[in-house]
Formats: sequence, C-alpha cells, structure tokens
Amino acid sequence: MERVLTIEDLYVSFDTYAGEVKAVRGVSLHVDKGEVLAIVGESGCGKSVTAQSVMRLNPEPPARIVYGSITLCGQDVVHAGDKQLRSIRGKDVSMIFQDPMTSLNPTMPIGKQLTEAIRHHQGLGAAEASQRAVELLEQVRIPNAAQRVKQYPHEFSGGMRQRVMIAMALSCSPQLLIADEPTTALDVTIQAQIIDLLAAIQKETQTAIILITHDLGVVAGMAHRVAVMYAGKIVETGSQEDIFYRHAHPYTEALLNSLPRPDIDRSSGRLVSIPGSPPDLFQPPKGCPFAGRCSYAMKICQEQMPPNFPQGEGHEAACWLLHKDCPKTMRGGAKE
Amino acid sequence: MNAEKLLEVRSLCKYFHVSGGTLKAVDDVSFDIFRGETFGLVGESGCGKSTLGRVLMGIYTATKGEILYEGAQLNPNRPGARFRYAKKAQIIFQDPYASLDPRMTVGSIIAEGMIIHNLYDGRRRAERVNELLEMVGLNREHANRFPHEFSGGQRQRIGIARALAIEPEFIVCDEPISALDVSIQSQIINLLRDLQERLNLTFLFIAHDLNVVKYISNRIGVMYLGHLVELASSEELYARTLHPYSNALLSAVPIPDPRAEREKRRTILTGDVPSPIHTPPGCPFAGRCPSVCAQCHSEKPALREVLPGHLVACHLVGDDGVFKG
Repeated sequence: MERVLTIEDLYVSFDTYAGEVKAVRGVSLHVDKGEVLAIVGESGCGKSVTAQSVMRLNPEPPARIVYGSITLCGQDVVHAGDKQLRSIRGKDVSMIFQDPMTSLNPTMPIGKQLTEAIRHHQGLGAAEASQRAVELLEQVRIPNAAQRVKQYPHEFSGGMRQRVMIAMALSCSPQLLIADEPTTALDVTIQAQIIDLLAAIQKETQTAIILITHDLGVVAGMAHRVAVMYAGKIVETGSQEDIFYRHAHPYTEALLNSLPRPDIDRSSGRLVSIPGSPPDLFQPPKGCPFAGRCSYAMKICQEQMPPNFPQGEGHEAACWLLHKDCPKTMRGGAKE
Repeated sequence: MNAEKLLEVRSLCKYFHVSGGTLKAVDDVSFDIFRGETFGLVGESGCGKSTLGRVLMGIYTATKGEILYEGAQLNPNRPGARFRYAKKAQIIFQDPYASLDPRMTVGSIIAEGMIIHNLYDGRRRAERVNELLEMVGLNREHANRFPHEFSGGQRQRIGIARALAIEPEFIVCDEPISALDVSIQSQIINLLRDLQERLNLTFLFIAHDLNVVKYISNRIGVMYLGHLVELASSEELYARTLHPYSNALLSAVPIPDPRAEREKRRTILTGDVPSPIHTPPGCPFAGRCPSVCAQCHSEKPALREVLPGHLVACHLVGDDGVFKG
C-alpha cells in the first residue's frame, strides 16, 4: 500500500488571551492510497484542527504546531514555507468544508472558482479551463453543466453547492481529500446523495479521503478505517468492523450506545447517556481525558495517560482496562 | 394515555408575502395532539415544521384555519389571549446560544416568566428557580451565573427550566437537540422524557433526526413543502411506511451499524425540494417522486385515513392501505 499521509505525535496549541488551548495532544495516524479514514468525535475534540494542520490552514498565530511531524506524499508539511504550501494545497491535498453556503465566493461565477486551482497549478489557458470546468461539473453529476458554469453560487441549492465544492476539491486530482463534516449542513435526503457521490468518486479515482464527522451513521456508510478522538487524543483506531463490533475503549462503547437507533422506540426505556461533558483543554487532565465520565474509571486512569494497547491487526485503544494485568472481569462491555 | 384532545389543528395555513410572490410555509394542515403524548414532526429544512410550531405557539398568526386548545378557539390577536395561552404553552428553541439573553443571570432568565405571569412571591420564586435548576440536572449555585459560562448542553437545560417555570401543559420543542453533541443529545432526550412523565406534559417535538423522533414520539407527522403527507404512530410509520416521500426520508437516514447499512435498501431521491413560492398544482412531491403518475401532477391528494390511525396523502395508496406504485 502506498502511504499518502503520515502524522506522528502531533501537538497543536492555540495561544489565546485566556491561555494556551491544547487542542491536539499527540495524534499519530496514517492514510493509504484509496482508503477512507474517518475521524469521529465531539465538537472541540481536535478533529478539525488535526485535519486542517495537514494543509496548514489553522491561522498561525494563534495556532502553533508545538511538536510532531506531518508527511504528505513524501513532503514535510510542518516546516514547509509559504511557497511550498501553495504548491501542496489544491494539488496534493484539498478540502471540502462543512458549510457550502459560505465557502464559495458569492461574487464569482462557479466556473471561474472551479478552475482557479487548475489554472494556478497546471497553467491552463482560459478556454481550456472553462472546458475543464464543464467536465468537472459533469463528474459530480450536475445537470446542464455548460449553462451552470456561468452561474453564481446563489443560483445553486445547498446540495448543488456541496457538489461544486467536491468538484473544486477534485479539480487537480489530489492524492488526499479532506472532507470536514461534508454533509452536516445538508438535509437528510441530500446528505444521502452527497455520500453516494463521494463514495462513487472515491472508487473511480482511488483518492484517499479523511472524513471528519460526528455522525456515526455516515461512518458506517463509507469509512474503511476509523479513528475516535476525545479531548485532543486518538483513543481508539481500527477498521470499521473493529470500531463498530469489537470496540475496546469505553468512550467508543458509550458513544455507540448513546445513539438512538432505528430499531428502538419509546418502549425501549431510557437511552444510555454519557454523564458530564468533555474536559477543559486549557488544563487537560494529566491522566486519561475520559476518566471523569467513564463508568469503569480506576485510580490509575486519573493519574497517568494510558498508552496504546494493540487489539489485533491495525486495531489499538488507549485504555488502562486493556493492560495485561487488569482483571478482565472489570467490565461487561457490549462486545460481540 | 387517555385520548383527550389537547390541541386541534384545522386546515391551518400560514403564508408569507415575499418579493417573489406568496410563500406557502404551511398549507392546509390538520391534526390533533392528545394530552400527555409526544407528537413528532419531521421533514427537511424549509418544509414548514418550525413555522407550524410557531403558529401553534401563537408567535405567528395563522393566515387561514383554526387552532382549538382544550376545545376553545385560539386567537392570538385578541387582547390578552396570547398572554393567557403563553401560561399553558411554552417553547424550547433549537439554538441554546441565541435563545438566552447574555446579560441576564440564569436565575433571572428562569424567573422572568413567573414575574410576568405574577406567579408566587419573591421568596417562593427564588425557591422555585432552585427547584427547576435541580430538576433539569443543574445545581442552585448556577442561578447567579451568566449564560456564557455554560456549555451547549447546560444551556439547553436552562432553556428547558425556563420553559417549565410557569408550569405549562404543552411544550413545543423546536429541534432541541440539533445543536448539541451526540453524547449530550441523549442526556437531553432522557431529561425531556423524565420531565414529561413527572409533570404530565404534552410535547410537539420538531426535528429532522428521524431516529431521535422515532425514539421520543408516540405519533409522527411527516411534512413536505408545507403539507402533512403522512401521519401514524411511530411504530406503524416505521413498520408500514406508505408515502413515497416518507419512504425516501426513512431510507436516507444513515444507520450507525455498517452491516445494516450495507444491507439496507435505499431510495435516493433526485433533485431538491422545490421552491415553496410557486408550488405545483398537484401533489407537492410529484416532481421528485419515483412512482409518480399523471393524476399526481393535476390533482392534490387529500390526507385521509387508510388504516386505523394511519393517515396518508397520496393517490397511489388505496383505501385498503396498500401502496400501488
């Protein structure tokens, strides 16, 4: 497998008036060609900051990469200068944002916005570029592409704008596509269309995708591997099947159990909920960040951050319960 | 649950006059809400579900049609009527950030309704604020703090405490959990259910997350482009979906289970929701419906009961409750 992205031990902080927010605290992950990696977690867990660091899109300052390395297609992103970053962004890695309403320029026709990146990276002329714009719109299944390229963003609906965003992101055939909550702002029937489109394009082009989402339903629909983040750390990584059916971390378990599934209704009793709320990242706890909300928390969890314990091929979780000396009777987890 | 009608909605319409013409946000909607039940209202953005909730609250005045509350007609334009109705009906808003006044303490936010309605004396009000805070899972020290000191989930709890302060019977929950994180959503859903049981509340629960609506509701209404297209008990709607739109909506919801997700048969709709300004003459869903027929374009189907308690507005559903698409 060809490795597209490797992140090792990444620490990102934001310097604010109130102090240093440690948004990402030691994240390591990798993405191979043709793979969809989902990063799931609640808001503020650092999933977007991690992904945006790959493109160095976090405004610096206040953001600061404190430590760690990011290698994208063999290039060091952390120490790249502005010129090198310009050549990486759009060509090797591109991004789809959450809100298709605000991420397009309202004063520029769609076709022109679409081809900005190709013209920059490949030096295409105006005529060729507009031809390419039509092809790109056709690739994302927008009807009447030849007329549509001349229109402005306000003439497109939310779902159509997200298609334009996808076309724009794919315009230079990047190695890696980062989709940051691509369907959160869309309605459920439109969400299904966009997910189908992303999955089809991913199959056609074999682009690696990092899918950032809090919707585990979307993860179940298209991810190959999943990383679960909590309070700036990855607490569990594994294949889709590992995470959904053989999860080892209590946070993953609680997250999955707290979702109302279609097979439950009023008669099923109360939902399982996770008490409390995530810790404050100004002063992250020194032990496991989930300890305060975890129903299995032990003394050591408050004191020391657990290392990653391998749970099988490509599956690992950071939880003291998985230590070989921990009694296995501690939990009646929801396992297969 | 007894089948006493708390709220009756009869041919309710709410139109807005906009520059392009008349926007029919709610068009000829009729249904009942029974005392003690949770009535779920689902649909995509722009389908009119929030407008309907606001008309029922008396925030908007209906263009046509009538609302009966405990059998008496509600007319928010009559002096004092809206005020008296507000004592019985309250609303919980979607955005816990925008719906709390940042310059008021939590205690005064919760007490405001009691002061306006002249309930209790000062000391009792302060006690009641403490009771309410504890009822929603916060503690009494929080009364002196300001909204910005709280997280989204806690703010939503404050919004719930405010709605409960004047002991209403009926609460419109307008997407109360959409702005919250997954792990917090279930806390709020559980809280709403506990409160409903304790205080015998009636809920109109508006949401676009179908799994949540199914979990919390006794009956569900599906809206599309200002129309109510299907209405059934929550189990019935999922077990025997009749309207093609409800079908597409239910099948589009991603299931957080990869195996079920792979096996699921999905109906993916093409196109977008049409503009509510120039609505087509026939069925509102005709333009996107996979089983559309000629009659659908010319004639608007009426909402009718095809099975006991199961209402649907579709030409293709026979009187025996079988879909002939």
